[in-house]
Amino acid sequence: MLNQLLAALTQYGSPALFAVVAIAAIGVPVPVTLLLIVTGSLAAQGAMDLWASIAIATAGSVSGDQIGFAVGRWGGKALIARLSWLLGDAEHLKKLDAKAKSWGGAGVFFSRWLVTPLGPWINLASGAADYSWLRFTLWDFLGESLGAALFIWLGHVFSDRVQQIGAVLGDLGWAILGILATAFLGWRLFFGRE
Amino acid sequence: MVAQPRPGTLILALGFCLAIAATFFFGYRASRTARHVRWQNEPIQSWMSVPFVAHAHHTRPELLFQAIHVEPNPRDHRSIRDIARAEKLPVAELIRDLRNAIENADRSGPGTIPPSAQAP
Repeated sequence: MLNQLLAALTQYGSPALFAVVAIAAIGVPVPVTLLLIVTGSLAAQGAMDLWASIAIATAGSVSGDQIGFAVGRWGGKALIARLSWLLGDAEHLKKLDAKAKSWGGAGVFFSRWLVTPLGPWINLASGAADYSWLRFTLWDFLGESLGAALFIWLGHVFSDRVQQIGAVLGDLGWAILGILATAFLGWRLFFGRE
Repeated sequence: MVAQPRPGTLILALGFCLAIAATFFFGYRASRTARHVRWQNEPIQSWMSVPFVAHAHHTRPELLFQAIHVEPNPRDHRSIRDIARAEKLPVAELIRDLRNAIENADRSGPGTIPPSAQAP
């Protein structure tokens, strides 16, 4: 599937870019970082416009994120109600809800460009936790613009090394996620006993 | 008598160890790839167009189009796979022809490959 997506991007440019980043933002597992790097390379070759590509990638990602948020808002609560026996009593759910709201802005912003595998989950969680749509959209837009600009610019600079840069960034993303998981689990293990 | 750890604590400890292992694994792999970025040539993939391959290997697109017997056109952004399908040829054969053309261009045309790509 990756080969077909990259071929579509190389051949059709902007419309393919918009469609693929929107689908990825909804939660379909697509290596969107590599796609943005290839977009930057195409811009360096003169096949696409650099600034228009950043704008289109941002618009596509924000559109997909909005769908994820809407699904969480209208479908997530029913799912949580069904799984309430697993998640804990009403008091515990209220605490989780408050936590999701307090971390909302930072979670949305950093999951757009730093820990991208979490992005679709944060969209669903933000919608389900009744996080303000306006705040979500603001942080989402800021994070997605930064992510699109960063990866497309990297592709523009290293336009003849896109696969290697994509591999480095992909592994770095997982390593950062590993650091966060280590910190969270370590804190729960050593200090989180009730 | 020694107290037995609770199952929840065991799962947390296991997750903690796995997270540390994953961090080191991906961190090491990222640093290893990053160290080789400067001098490794970009592999040719079936999703790439001929101008894309030419750009990645610092050679002229016309040269590569000629190598695969396709009318040179810088606006031809078909993928190698699409070209192979149109020409009724295996993708591997087209990639081999492109690689040979790039190697020949490297040998005959000094300056087509930047110094960073020529390092050992």
